Amino acid sequence: MNKPIIGKALEYIITFFIILTLNFMVPRLMPGDPFTFLSNDEVGVSFTFTEEEIKKYKDYYGLNKPITTQYVDYLKNTLSGYLGYSIFYNDEVLNIITERITWTISLVFISTLISAFSGSLLGSISAYYRHRKIDKVLYFFFVSISQIPPFLIGLLILYYFGAYLKLFPLSGGITPFMEYNSYWHKIIDLAYHFILPALTLSFVNIGNFYLVSRNSVIEILSKDYITTAKAKALKKRRIVFVHALRNAIFPIVTRIFLSFGTVIGGAVLIENVFNYPGLGLLMKEAVFYRDYPLIQGIFTIMALFVLTMNLLSDLINKKLDPRLS
Amino acid sequence: MGRIINIIKDFSLVGKISLIALVIILIIAIFAPYLSKYPHDKPVASPLKSPTKEHILGTDDLGIDLWAQIIHGARISLIVGLGTALIAGVGGSTIGILAGYFGGFIDKFLMRLADVMIVLPELPTMIVLGVFFGSSIYNIIIVLSLFSWIKPARIVRSKTLSIKEENFIKIAQIYGAKFHYITIKHIMPYIFPLILISFIKLINRAIIAEASLSFLGLGDPTSKSWGLILNYAINFSGIYFTPYWKWWVLSPLIAITITVVSIAIIGREFEKIFKLKI
Repeated sequence: MNKPIIGKALEYIITFFIILTLNFMVPRLMPGDPFTFLSNDEVGVSFTFTEEEIKKYKDYYGLNKPITTQYVDYLKNTLSGYLGYSIFYNDEVLNIITERITWTISLVFISTLISAFSGSLLGSISAYYRHRKIDKVLYFFFVSISQIPPFLIGLLILYYFGAYLKLFPLSGGITPFMEYNSYWHKIIDLAYHFILPALTLSFVNIGNFYLVSRNSVIEILSKDYITTAKAKALKKRRIVFVHALRNAIFPIVTRIFLSFGTVIGGAVLIENVFNYPGLGLLMKEAVFYRDYPLIQGIFTIMALFVLTMNLLSDLINKKLDPRLS
Repeated sequence: MGRIINIIKDFSLVGKISLIALVIILIIAIFAPYLSKYPHDKPVASPLKSPTKEHILGTDDLGIDLWAQIIHGARISLIVGLGTALIAGVGGSTIGILAGYFGGFIDKFLMRLADVMIVLPELPTMIVLGVFFGSSIYNIIIVLSLFSWIKPARIVRSKTLSIKEENFIKIAQIYGAKFHYITIKHIMPYIFPLILISFIKLINRAIIAEASLSFLGLGDPTSKSWGLILNYAINFSGIYFTPYWKWWVLSPLIAITITVVSIAIIGREFEKIFKLKI
């Protein structure tokens, strides 16, 4: 019975190795290197490296060893948690990432919960009122309007609630240099900065959850046991939310775990709209300074996170639906 | 051609409006150089001018005319969208037909590859590839295509698998019909609607992905796309406390929104008419 699970896990491990290999190959396939980038500083203060210096650094970073040795070293390092050293921040990549990751993870999880909850609620309402006006309006909204990339919606939300109404802060994850009287104050301040980005991020997947729950509730409403429930003269609302939605929860849960790949991409963009200090903002900074090890480190961590969530979705699938195993 | 016109006649009102909007954007993109007397990459007026008769959308912080930038950006969005959709749509469908028709090793290999690629977080991967490959418009199209072939390939494969078992194809095979004949004569008519709808969805995905990448500063710096205009605008410190955002942020934002929503609605109209769900 456990065999398929091990097979699945093995598949993900192989995928992870492919990602690591990609990560290793890509910088080595490209022309140019950080040395040449540093040498042509845009301000005009040109720092050049002498041949000896370049050789010294190449020795230091192991770039003159044969490629296979480099690859083995790279795998060893990565698996033992050493993701490289950031050129710009002058610190180990993993340290920088652990400092910032909590912001992104909390944003991702909470906004996913918001979108799963409200999406499936609206989906069941839509199924309940199928073919009526409210269903048509909701369906149109989620099929077309929800195509607008959420970071654009974020720009508008930020302007309206932040700059125009001045209800929420314009940027950051916490008020800088603030002295807190109590733990409670700190939480309020954090929440205050959290609300707009989290709401915006929940737009990323709400349409998906809506469609999934609408479809599965509609499907379940045509089943025999629903007819029985109707024959027992149960209220329609009770039938939808208690009988149908409970059985529709299975595809929704699967969808939650599968959605993290898109949500994390959305988080990268939305953190940049709100200047929220998570991995997305860090990634943009790293891109700006062409801090290659940092970019790759963030990518590795994000890929690992998404892979883990996909694996969890497979495991939960098996648990919830015994037919699969 | 006549068939397509008939299909368009069946569009709902919203669908027709979207189609008109898209055609207008297309015309603007094609005739961009003739629609503005100012260049899109050189300063022509004082910086940060509000919209006037001379500059209908005002100017940015360098004094470059924004209307010229927006209409030029339409070109880039559509080139990226159509280019990616063409490469990924044709490539993905071919892969799907091959995998579905021949099965066996090719099928296993391609579908495993698709399984690996589908779990990669898309945007972070594209950022990594964009950073290393450099972000010219062609590289962006290539990177986007690498990520977009999977969905059409899977859809086309499963449809091909089911058609392959139909009797008329079996009979054609017995009469000696070869793969390409069967594909063109018998498989294509069935999967064409699927390919068309995936194609429309791919255009949208690519436009959004390009806007996202350039919003993060990974766009082609020589060609001002809508995402890049937004990137410059929000990096202007304090933009939200100035009146500039009204034309500088809103115009690219509205341009992206209109394009993406009208393409999405057109896609949905086709789905409704072909009675397909992707």
